[in-house]
Amino acid sequence: MSKQNVVETNLEGAVRLSRRIGDGTVKKGDVILEVKDLGVKFWVNGEWFDAAENVDYDLRAGEVLAIVGESGSGKTQSSMSLIGLLPPNGRASGSAKLKGVELIGLTGSRMREVRGNEIAVIFQEPMTALNPVYTVGFQIVETLRTHFVMAPAAAKARAIELMRLVEIPEPESSFDKYPHQLSGGQRQRIMIAQSLACDPKLLIADEPTTALDVTVQAEILKLMRGLRERVDAAIILITHDMGVVADMADRIVVMKDGRVVEHGTSDEIFTAPKHPYTQSLLAAVPHLGSQTGDDHIVVRESLVSDGKNPVPLADGDPDVTPALLMEGVSIDYPKQGRRPVFRAAHDINLRIDPGRVLGLVGESGSGKTTIGRAAVALLPVADGRLQVAGRDITHASNADLYPFRRDVGIVFQDPGSSLNPRLPVGESIGEPLYLHEKLRGSELSKRVEALLDSVELPRAMRNRYPHELSGGQRQRIGIARSLALEPKLLIADEPTSALDVSVQARVLQLFADLQERYGFACLFISHDLAVVEMLSSRIAVMKDGRLVEVGPTAEIVNSPQHPYTQRLLSAVPVPDPAEQKKRRELRDAIIEQLHLV
Amino acid sequence: MTTNPPLDPASDLSGPGRGDNAIEAKEVEGLSQGQIVWRRFLRHRGAMFGLILLALVAIISFTAMGIGPIPGLWKYQDYNRSNPEILNGGAPTLSIPGFGSGGFAIGEHPFGQDDIGRDNFALVMKGVQTSLLVMIVMSIVALVIGVTVGALAGYYRKRVDQALMRFTDLVITLPVIVLGAVLGKLLSTIPIKLDWSQEVREGISASMPLLLAVMLGLILWPSLARLVRGEFLTLREREFVDSARVAGASDWRIITKHILPNAVGVIIVNTTLLMSTAVVLETALSFLGFGINPPLISLGNLISTYQGAFSTRPWLFWWPGLFIILIALSVNFIGDGLRDAFDPRTKRIPSEREMARTLIKANRAATGGAA
Amino acid sequence: MVRFLARRLALALGILLTLSAFMYFMLDLAMDPLWDLRTSTSPNKAELIQNRINQLGLDLPWWERYWIWLRHFVSGDFGLAWTTQQRVNEMLPGAIATSVQLVFAATMIAILLGVVVGVVSALRQYTTFDYSITFVSFVLYALPVFWVAVLLKQFLAIGLNNFLNDPSVSWPAVILFAIVAGLFWAGAIGGDLRKKLMIFGISGVVTFGALAYLLTSDWLVNPRIGYVGVAVIGLAWAVAVTVVFAGINNRRALYSALTTAVVGVVAHYAVQWLFYYVPGSWTLMLILLLVAIGCGAGIGWLFGGPDRAVSMRGGALVALMMAVLTFVDRVMQGWSLYFNSNVIKGRPIATIGSETPGLGGDFWITQLDRFTHLLLPTIALVLISFASYTRYQRGSMLEVLNQEYIRTARAKGLTERVTIVRHALRNALLPLASVVPVDIISLIGGAVITETIFGWNGMGKMFVTSLRQSEPDPVMAYVMITGALAMVANLVADFLYALLDPRIRVNA
Repeated sequence: MSKQNVVETNLEGAVRLSRRIGDGTVKKGDVILEVKDLGVKFWVNGEWFDAAENVDYDLRAGEVLAIVGESGSGKTQSSMSLIGLLPPNGRASGSAKLKGVELIGLTGSRMREVRGNEIAVIFQEPMTALNPVYTVGFQIVETLRTHFVMAPAAAKARAIELMRLVEIPEPESSFDKYPHQLSGGQRQRIMIAQSLACDPKLLIADEPTTALDVTVQAEILKLMRGLRERVDAAIILITHDMGVVADMADRIVVMKDGRVVEHGTSDEIFTAPKHPYTQSLLAAVPHLGSQTGDDHIVVRESLVSDGKNPVPLADGDPDVTPALLMEGVSIDYPKQGRRPVFRAAHDINLRIDPGRVLGLVGESGSGKTTIGRAAVALLPVADGRLQVAGRDITHASNADLYPFRRDVGIVFQDPGSSLNPRLPVGESIGEPLYLHEKLRGSELSKRVEALLDSVELPRAMRNRYPHELSGGQRQRIGIARSLALEPKLLIADEPTSALDVSVQARVLQLFADLQERYGFACLFISHDLAVVEMLSSRIAVMKDGRLVEVGPTAEIVNSPQHPYTQRLLSAVPVPDPAEQKKRRELRDAIIEQLHLV
Repeated sequence: MTTNPPLDPASDLSGPGRGDNAIEAKEVEGLSQGQIVWRRFLRHRGAMFGLILLALVAIISFTAMGIGPIPGLWKYQDYNRSNPEILNGGAPTLSIPGFGSGGFAIGEHPFGQDDIGRDNFALVMKGVQTSLLVMIVMSIVALVIGVTVGALAGYYRKRVDQALMRFTDLVITLPVIVLGAVLGKLLSTIPIKLDWSQEVREGISASMPLLLAVMLGLILWPSLARLVRGEFLTLREREFVDSARVAGASDWRIITKHILPNAVGVIIVNTTLLMSTAVVLETALSFLGFGINPPLISLGNLISTYQGAFSTRPWLFWWPGLFIILIALSVNFIGDGLRDAFDPRTKRIPSEREMARTLIKANRAATGGAA
Repeated sequence: MVRFLARRLALALGILLTLSAFMYFMLDLAMDPLWDLRTSTSPNKAELIQNRINQLGLDLPWWERYWIWLRHFVSGDFGLAWTTQQRVNEMLPGAIATSVQLVFAATMIAILLGVVVGVVSALRQYTTFDYSITFVSFVLYALPVFWVAVLLKQFLAIGLNNFLNDPSVSWPAVILFAIVAGLFWAGAIGGDLRKKLMIFGISGVVTFGALAYLLTSDWLVNPRIGYVGVAVIGLAWAVAVTVVFAGINNRRALYSALTTAVVGVVAHYAVQWLFYYVPGSWTLMLILLLVAIGCGAGIGWLFGGPDRAVSMRGGALVALMMAVLTFVDRVMQGWSLYFNSNVIKGRPIATIGSETPGLGGDFWITQLDRFTHLLLPTIALVLISFASYTRYQRGSMLEVLNQEYIRTARAKGLTERVTIVRHALRNALLPLASVVPVDIISLIGGAVITETIFGWNGMGKMFVTSLRQSEPDPVMAYVMITGALAMVANLVADFLYALLDPRIRVNA
């Protein structure tokens, strides 16, 4: 018995231009996709390299299959080969049958009839995946009119209906908006609407929420779950985020280095993973609440902003010089081309004592990066007072700052661009030593080697260039460089966000060890609350340039007070399906409460 | 803080696996950026063709006519000396197997003679030397000025940028040939107008190519400055620059050690393109009479002198033009090769046939090995 | 908006003012108005020199002279070319008009050809076609314009003139040309080996046949496109336009395009009577062109259907082609009259000047005369402009083809044609809006060499002549006008780009 399909009814009158596979009706539980021995090869300079080999799985209607893996696992390429979207130097082999019709090797108009019509794709980056010179409405209509014989007016009506389905506000007027006029979350909703337009049998979602903020991600996941109920399509969810997998997936396929290492239902994989790689992957994923779940809260210490007044400065021991002290600090972001100067941070009061780690969390645009940069004097302070290790650097000139440079270090997010590609990494590490301690020659070498040892890299690596190293290795080099002068304060600006999960776990471990050994204070900036929970003793939450709540980690994670903090925490998915279900319900309650209040 | 159980220790430390740069990393193990670019450049067929061609032209011209005071090997060193003995109406004596009778022979006057018997080969070779000299000197001048202006504007931004860009706009408003013509005329007029002494006048005349090259360099730098400025604006925002600043590096160090080496690609590519513009510009100006004038030789003024002679002595017209084209063409190819070498995105994707062939081979190897 | 414009204008004026002072100073150093008198042997040399100094105010320091010149300039008096005593104000309009004429045709052709070839080359990246086009554009780019111009004067002018008087068919040349044409079309249209061979064969045979017909019949004596020609070209163009812009499956668009072509043939017949009775003029031509495009769009509209705009666009493009064919055909009709006139005397391809003096004749003969004079300079300019447009457009197209939204378009099931024409092309052509205005306008002042060699009395020639003769006033006028045009061009380019790119036009 086929489910009544809200999306289908309005298409009843429409004549399809593109043929459908099978008899058109799909029952929940039917096998839609059979993949056997799928392989993808790439031609690079005369040789064929395997991106994926011997991939087998089945997919049923109404089911969400998550293909999980890190970069290079072949998850994306094997899925792109289903609709023939490999780059020109790629080749697919093996078999993938959509309701009995072989997809591999399908070309020309036959393949075009499948694309968009039977199999639709949601890409990762909606800003670049949508054509910037056409309105979003037009791009949805285009999909419709390619596969259906439809008058423009009818197509527009259906497009607006689809936009309503994905909860775009004011669909009639949003129809004529251009992609750059919408927010990231709205753009992704448009992508979803576009992909559902022709009522496809299979939806491939390639990292659909990776580029989105965590609260937006939660909303999009909720939307997708809701649509699942109403649409009979099967979904292939490609992702590296185990939290998202726990939230959405029915079955899971784990890939490593182009091969499937394990597959099973969501419960099986999460509770009893068999393959060592799966086990290590699950162990490496930071689990929000795991570090502090057992702590009981006796005395409430958190400081909360009450909307009008900023979060006040935490009390501190007057005999201890804080490593970082910000009082009423406001920071302006300089003019960038067309965008005028704007205030990125307002009235910030922060204190970090020596040897302690403060996690600074917030979504994009919250201003957390700005604070990190101001702390190392990369951005000027517009208002208030900024002190580092007892030294007031609020309006210091370049010359004044010179001695201050010894006390701070910074680790950046993108290992690809934080090292000068022209210099061997040893030189990059040694630069602070060269400039401040005037070390040269063998003395410099010895110190560089010692630093390499401390980040667990072989000494011979100092003559290598950044492009020869992996992301994790580059990030270790970045950490080594920041610690060269044994600073009192280290700013870590999203240091592991660009790394694979397993690599991230190791780098975080290293970071924790180094922090214990060297005893530096640290401002750990991240959007990932679970990671922050692992390392910090206190957490500060930011929104729209203001501090919203500051307090001990346990309190913030387990009983947040500010509505935004509550929303933020409830939106973070955890890699445990049962727990995630409970969190979802909790989140829905919180959102309702916020709307009622 | 609790620790995580130990994970596979080697995988993160063993170098790039199948991750982000796995496949590219295989090709470039152990090499610096400069070496990688050089290797890619050498593999580029067009660039090698251009390089060899340019080298040949340069070698022939310099060995034939000598450099400065050092005489060359060609028998007619004094190209301006007229020769009453005109062979065969002055026609070229060069013969190449296949084009006309006889095998390969240089003959007495391979490129022919003009109406007063001067050897065309000597004239053309001298002209080639002038063009090459102008090209190199002009590029150096434009490079120095363009990079300095662009770097300062791009790095310091705000007012410095505004001022420098207004200045660039000033120079860029007029067509290059107009400025070139005015400056060229200036060089030849000033000695007469200001009534300088004969020796000074002769000195200026003799070094006209050099002076002209410097003048042209003063005109051609704006486009380079704009590009360098763009590169600096981008590179300035890269995190390794921030790291250097946090480490306490001075502005000078950041510009010279961090940003400039990374902008080298754009600079080199555009300088080579500028070189080919320079060659054509110099010859054009000489043709119009605002550049290098007789008795000094430029390929441009050779063409200008002999344009009327086309029906009677076409060789006087063909050979200079051909060499202008050869020089400009080879420099363009080199520039294109450099651009491809510096820009890693342009990978060579083979034809369908080649891919299919290697696939069959790989499959055979795979199955052959298993069996 | 107004403030933005006002600021730009103020900036432009500032730059022009500074430029004028700078140039005046440079010219003062570079020019020697006494150059001919210095080597004079006449007895009253000193007197002549003094006279000239008085006449030109050479005893004053340069900034005073500059001030005088500036005062005159802003009040509209551009000075005097002292050698001929001609007022610059009189020289200018003719010079500008001449330069514009010369440059206009060449840039239109160069842009059209360059963009199309560049786009196709990008689509066929890494094929032999792409490599050949790239090689050819490299060679063209390296050609020195003055050398090419002289070559053209020799071969095309003298050679073609000789050929026209005594046409003989060189079969090897015709066959070679047909083969090259066949290879070109096969490479451009692409496809698998069978399809390529087919295209090669068809286009080769068609080219050969057409050339053979043209050369063996007495077409050269009495060249016409004729009704057959107009019909064949018109119908073929209608099909091509539909295939590219609407897709061969769009029946309505196809029918409206074909109908417009047929109507065009009929109109071609009818309009001959009009031309017989009504004297030709540019106004008439413009009116007829607008009427034609209107009809074409109207036919598209009449065919109705949900996508009227597509059909209208196709109809308009076909109508444009038909109008052009009709115009060219009518001009060609005057050929034998022109050829045999006693001013031309059987040597129609001209090398000097923009028109033949003392020709007489009606509008059509004048146009024909213009064409024959434009032919060589246009070819010279096109050869080099074409190369840079091809390279530029190829680069732009390649960059766009690598974008994510192209992958999305394919993933939606759009045909390759729609993906490229609707999604890729629109983004790839956008940068042209900032390049084309600047290029056109810079060429007005920059076609210096071409004008000099071909004797066209345009701005460039005025500049060269006056510089040679050390006349400061015309050169200053030239500099100011070229500079002002450059500013205007930049403004237009920025404006156009802002208009066409929704990211700038519509604020978030």
